[in-house]
Amino acid sequence: MHQVTSQVREPLVTGGKTYRDVTEDICRQVEGKPTKEWIIAFSISLMLLTYGGYCLGWTWWEGIGVWGLNKTIGWSWDITNFVWWVGIGHAGTLISAVLLLFRQKWRTSINRAAEAMTIFAVLCAATFILAHMGRPWMAYWALPLPNTFGSLWVNFNSALVWDVFAISTYLTVSLVFWYIGMVPDLATIRDRAQNKISRFIYGIMSFGWDGSARTWARYEEVSLILAGLSTPLVLSVHTIVSMDFATSLIPGWHTTIFPPYFVAGAIFSGFAMVLTLMLVTRKVFHLEDYITITHMETMNKIIILTGSIVGVAYITEIFIAFYSGVEYESYAFANRVSGPYWWAYWSMMTCNVISPQLFWFKKIRTSIAATFVLSIIVNIGMWFERFVIICTSLHRDFLPSSWAMFYPTMYDIGDYIFSFGLFFTLFFLFAKFLPVINMAEVKAIMKSSSEKMPTKGSSSVKPNSIVQPSFNKNTE
Amino acid sequence: MEDNHKRYWKGLEELSNDPSFVKLADQEFPAYIPVKEAHASSPVDGGNTGRRDFLKLLGFGVAAVSLAACETPVTKTIPYLNKPEEITPGVANWYSSTFTDGGEYCSVLVKTREGRPIKIEGNPSSSISGGTSAKAQASVLSLYDEERLREPMVNGNPSKDWAKIDAAISSQLAQVAQSGGAIRLVSSTILSPSTKGVIADFITKYPTTKHVVYDANSASAIWQANQASFGKAVIPSYDFSKAKTIVGVGCDFLGTWISPEVFSKQYVQTRKLGKSKKEMSRHFQFETSLSLTGANADYRTGIKPSQEGLVVAALYNKVAKLAGASTVNVPAVEVKYLDQAAKDLYKAKGSALVVAGTNDTSVQILVNALNNLLGSYGSTIDLTKEVYYKQGNDADMASFIAEAEAGKVGAVIFYNANPVYNHPGAARLAKALPSISLSVSFADRADETASLCKFICPDNHYLESWDDAEPVRGFFSLVQPTISLFQTRQAQNSLLKWAGSQQDYYAYLQNRWRTLVFPLQTKAADFDKFWITSLHDGVFEPGPYLTDTSAPFTFNTDIASAASNVAQAAASGKGIELSLYEKVGIGNGSMANNPWLQELPDGISKACWDNYLTIPQKLATDMSLAQGDLVSVQVAGKTVVDEIPVLIQPGQTNGTVSLAIGYGRTKAGKAANNVGKNAYPIASLVNNNISFAASGVNITKTGGSREIAQTQTHHTIMARPIVQESVLSEYQKNPGAGRVYPTVTTAEGVLPATDVTLWNGHIKKNHSWGMAIDLNSCTGCGACVISCQAENNIPVVGRQEVINRREMHWLRIDRYYSSQEGAHTNGELEVASDNPEVVFQPMLCQHCSNAPCETVCPVLATTHSSEGLNQMTYNRCIGTRYCANNCPYKVRRFNWFKYFEKDIEGDLEFATNPASNDLGRFVLNPDVTVRSRGVMEKCTFCVQKIQEGKLNAKKERRTVAPDEIQTACSQSCATGAIVFGDMNNPESTISKILATENKERAFTVLEELNVKPQISYLTKIRNKDKA
Amino acid sequence: MTNTSEKYLVGVYDDEEVLLSAISQVRRSGVKIHEVFTPFPIHGLDEALGYRRTRLPIAAFLFGMTGTATAITMISWMLGFDWPMNIGGKNHLPPPDYVPVTFELTVLFAALGLVFTFLLSNDIGPGKQAKIFDLRSTDDKFIMAVNVAKNKLAPNEIETILRDNGATEVNVKQFD
Repeated sequence: MHQVTSQVREPLVTGGKTYRDVTEDICRQVEGKPTKEWIIAFSISLMLLTYGGYCLGWTWWEGIGVWGLNKTIGWSWDITNFVWWVGIGHAGTLISAVLLLFRQKWRTSINRAAEAMTIFAVLCAATFILAHMGRPWMAYWALPLPNTFGSLWVNFNSALVWDVFAISTYLTVSLVFWYIGMVPDLATIRDRAQNKISRFIYGIMSFGWDGSARTWARYEEVSLILAGLSTPLVLSVHTIVSMDFATSLIPGWHTTIFPPYFVAGAIFSGFAMVLTLMLVTRKVFHLEDYITITHMETMNKIIILTGSIVGVAYITEIFIAFYSGVEYESYAFANRVSGPYWWAYWSMMTCNVISPQLFWFKKIRTSIAATFVLSIIVNIGMWFERFVIICTSLHRDFLPSSWAMFYPTMYDIGDYIFSFGLFFTLFFLFAKFLPVINMAEVKAIMKSSSEKMPTKGSSSVKPNSIVQPSFNKNTE
Repeated sequence: MEDNHKRYWKGLEELSNDPSFVKLADQEFPAYIPVKEAHASSPVDGGNTGRRDFLKLLGFGVAAVSLAACETPVTKTIPYLNKPEEITPGVANWYSSTFTDGGEYCSVLVKTREGRPIKIEGNPSSSISGGTSAKAQASVLSLYDEERLREPMVNGNPSKDWAKIDAAISSQLAQVAQSGGAIRLVSSTILSPSTKGVIADFITKYPTTKHVVYDANSASAIWQANQASFGKAVIPSYDFSKAKTIVGVGCDFLGTWISPEVFSKQYVQTRKLGKSKKEMSRHFQFETSLSLTGANADYRTGIKPSQEGLVVAALYNKVAKLAGASTVNVPAVEVKYLDQAAKDLYKAKGSALVVAGTNDTSVQILVNALNNLLGSYGSTIDLTKEVYYKQGNDADMASFIAEAEAGKVGAVIFYNANPVYNHPGAARLAKALPSISLSVSFADRADETASLCKFICPDNHYLESWDDAEPVRGFFSLVQPTISLFQTRQAQNSLLKWAGSQQDYYAYLQNRWRTLVFPLQTKAADFDKFWITSLHDGVFEPGPYLTDTSAPFTFNTDIASAASNVAQAAASGKGIELSLYEKVGIGNGSMANNPWLQELPDGISKACWDNYLTIPQKLATDMSLAQGDLVSVQVAGKTVVDEIPVLIQPGQTNGTVSLAIGYGRTKAGKAANNVGKNAYPIASLVNNNISFAASGVNITKTGGSREIAQTQTHHTIMARPIVQESVLSEYQKNPGAGRVYPTVTTAEGVLPATDVTLWNGHIKKNHSWGMAIDLNSCTGCGACVISCQAENNIPVVGRQEVINRREMHWLRIDRYYSSQEGAHTNGELEVASDNPEVVFQPMLCQHCSNAPCETVCPVLATTHSSEGLNQMTYNRCIGTRYCANNCPYKVRRFNWFKYFEKDIEGDLEFATNPASNDLGRFVLNPDVTVRSRGVMEKCTFCVQKIQEGKLNAKKERRTVAPDEIQTACSQSCATGAIVFGDMNNPESTISKILATENKERAFTVLEELNVKPQISYLTKIRNKDKA
Repeated sequence: MTNTSEKYLVGVYDDEEVLLSAISQVRRSGVKIHEVFTPFPIHGLDEALGYRRTRLPIAAFLFGMTGTATAITMISWMLGFDWPMNIGGKNHLPPPDYVPVTFELTVLFAALGLVFTFLLSNDIGPGKQAKIFDLRSTDDKFIMAVNVAKNKLAPNEIETILRDNGATEVNVKQFD
């Protein structure tokens, strides 16, 4: 706990909170009645889920012919959405794992929600893995299971099989990481529980956590090791996703730059999505004191960095395409820039390369409104990036005779909407019934990085002698 | 073959004629009738049913849906308890027969499985046809056409009783004959001498009968011209194989003119190149719209229909000058390549050939004169070996319609003729027909003409018939039945009956052969042996007989009048000119209800399921028309075709438009009805010949547009070395001319791209199946596409799915236009030249040894065989489509929907797919899986045929003979452009070809990817001067 | 009747710093501490209590190695021996294609193995009941539990020691 934190650092927890206040603030929305904002938001996401559910159901019943795909373009929105969601799913684990390793304290108040987001995003991605199959009910054939078809196994040469392993591992590990991190807080809720039911439920969920010194010691060790494991895992997942394209031979796919470029892109979009969500959550649950402007600004800085990496990657790609002298490759990129899908390419460029550069201005990077808008723009851009890579590479490949165009149908769109419905439904459920902020960790850093927290050893100071916390003003 | 009346039972009930079954027998799906009734009166349809009924329906609906979700019920099948001696389940029987449809002729072998004909192949023993046309390939599907009448019709009502009908018709005929009323037997060209005999007998019975013959796409001018030039009304046989210089004027002899398969075969012989043959013919084509023939020409010039005569005349004059003969007096015409054509023609004197497609006698006379001048008669043209493909006499037909209108016709019989659809005078005839007291049609369906007739006595399909054919003088072939489906009867039998003969046609046929054909040979001593051999071979070819060669034809040199006619005709051409043309697939429309043919993309435009007005880019710009915009076409002030979409066609002559015949059927069936517009009304009778051109055409935009279903929407090759080509002079210098050798720069220096690899590869120990495709021999006719579709149960997906770019053909023929001269930027390259050079490239699974599709399949649904086959395991496929994405040739096809689904409610999206109904399913090949929804499929190199061949060899304890095993495409290719075989067997043709061509013309597509295809292509060589 | 061996004196502290110093004091004065309960991890607490460092990292490593081994054996056996197939002309055992799956399985095994060991070693898991000395120990109080029976000192002596070292309250907790 005793890192030296330079005084110039902005406090990470404002409003002079005590440990008790932290517990109060975080548990309030778990224990109290759902707020109006929450109910509205939740019902909207439920509506999305229902409409999307209908579309997805029809897609499964009729066959993916209801999509706009054709003999030339075998993947379009389905895989675009898949990669997009997986990308978003990178921030969570990255924030908690990498920042934990680097002992970045500011992570503590956002990592819980970020991890939850990761898990839900990966689930959304998974729905597209299923939906894009011609025969989804055979999906389990992609696993190396003993079967009745003779000893017929899976193809370990195929990037899709790598995907299966990568995504499922990533989901499992993130889930475990997230849940183990949540156990102590669940215990807190359990011990505060007023009625039997919640005491029972949270009792089960909290695994009989008692917070003994021994457990904490091992707990710390575990989170450290999990972080150590997750960090390369995060990087590997999008590396492998990028190999779906990099290991193929379609001009515009067959590119060695993809792994780093995809990972950067993933972090880029992931952080954007975290921002979008955090800004909403802090408003809805009045957590301004825990998710501060400092948090936002720090993340915006990471967005500038990753955004610029992505930008460089785009330009490198184009340079290599022409420098290589491979006519198919260079045509593929010429076609991206000026072909029938030029608008997709240029939306990608504007959203991903130009817009994040605005964060160089402190004014913008510290403005909630600007950040909120830009974070959404970034994710639009990242969707287009995947669309450009997947669709515009396929639609004009080697033989001009099979060149074709892709036009989305209402089912392409509906199935995308489904994933949004799923994501937000899960997220709002999480936000209501689980602690959105890691109380234990926040408490652990308060001594070093909170406003007006009693300094070292002065045990005489009693919590109640602290000025009235600010959030009460907002709430009452 | 005694028993030619096999019946197929739907189940035991039908066998036992259980009354309840018989009651419902004609309703295909009795079980569903209650649903329909209930539904009809449901509140939804505004019926007066109450809440309770609605709830009942609802309940039933739920039950039905849940039932539908269950396993399909097991239906009883009849085992071969006492097995027919000639049928072994699982083993195919082959019968030789002959495909004829009017003038269409093809000697074929019919493959039957468990008694069902399922595939047509060319008959190698025929010296005439050899390969098969797309139509011949598809004809087997017409047999299982649901629209076929199952029994005769009287005044539109089905009637089972042939005897009653015979009585009725005979008596009425007798009446008409006695009262001296005219009886007219209207037919298209009849190739069968025996049928003609039957008709002759019929005429002797009813002397007032006249046999009127007409062809939808007439060539009557040719025999008229020969009448004028040689005093002999014949169509001679042309031999393109002897020609060194070929000039075609508006004549699509590789696609649709007279006997295209025959001509293609001969033509390609002059185009093939190799170690021993470094010479090829030179082909000039002058035509209006870009035809298959024009696409294959070395020099192509766009001309207006009205210029055809002038071009011929100009050629005549230029050649005459060179030959020092007298010229004719016609206005000069300024079109490209005329002088060169004349020069080359004269150079090739004695082995030159000029053909014109126009149906104008004067022009044809000039053509004769020109050929005479070039000494083509006796070398490339043989008047003694006359052909009978087109016997139509337009004048007769015209006068028949006049008679009918005047009410002078007492009785009319239509045999294989549908004038109410396919004759310019259709409208007039349609008005007159009902008033004719006796009208009979032999049509197999209630088509446009038959539906107006009192009696329809449905003829058998040719696969159900006995018959013979004589397409060329002295070349006979036999038609024998392979199945019998319905209560239909052969037209010849009907005619015999009505002529009062007790003989049935089979006996009649045999007698004729005994008396007339048998004597033409000496080999077989007794007739039965002769009959059996001919039946087995399918053909008997004694060659031209009873011809007096002592007196050669003398040419009537007076051509001045013809020339002046030509000059007049040319003068009459004004404004926008329109030419009608025939498509290779749909032809004259007689087989329009054949979904395979409907979905076969046109060789040039790559469009299917529609006809359209092909217009030049210039016209499009002038009228600001975009592809698919609807226009209406007026000739002489009145609208002849309305709401027809336009297709911007490179190569279409400026100031002209073209339209395909054979579309716009209204009573042919669900595949053909209202597909496209009927173009026949545009044709007109010009001095006793039907002219397929019109001038002074007025085109107006009607607004709105209709998307044209094209299987290829990008038309230029973007300067990519996918097709490698050169010109003859270069080739003679260097056999490798035009080849591109991709290299990779490595640490060890510059290496061939194929030498750089990570892997050791796998050895093909036994066989290595491969293909060599000669781009010089491929005319782009598309027979292979249909053959493949028939062999491999490939679904027909219909217009909308083709628009969605989801056609399922495993084998497609890519057609590329050259870009404008000096095009460099991508934008420029995308624009096809106004008069492009065209190249055809059959594209199918390349069976790469380093297959990109295999590597990426997560479930190992596609893997490599030890014989070099890229195998697809349908039932392992989960449909990720990764393989299709990663295929550089884009030859993989995905089952987006349940294309095989049965059309129960009659509202199915894919109702045109043969597999959508019980009858259509008869055509499915039992050796090939019908693919389910959500799986990938692609060319298998006809693995089922490979296995069959290997098994046969094994049974006979021998190795597979070279070229013993053929794929559907290679087998059907008339020109031998596709050569399939075992590359491990040095004796096989492909090994021999590759042995010589490997370092020369043979290239693999996208070689630099080092996917090592099993398919090599031979460079395209054009016989034109270096640009 | 009450079970004396389950009788505890529970010292409640308000601040982790105080707690830390208290622990060493209390131990020096010969009191055996049963266990300390805190709402969040406190650095140095285990040293102060003289706990041995956990061996979880070693466990994780072993699990990881198991994953690696599993992956390599599985792939080699399936592709190379059980049913070797010609896939895109590649060798039956293409080393580069081993990497991704092997890596993923290593991580998966390590992570899961680690967590299960953790749960077992602390005897926590779904539905387990915690032994709560003071409900506020998961909120803002720091709890030091001393088992009376296991100490020679008398309860009142222990209580004074606790109070002297900054315990705001000392309660008696009796489990039965």
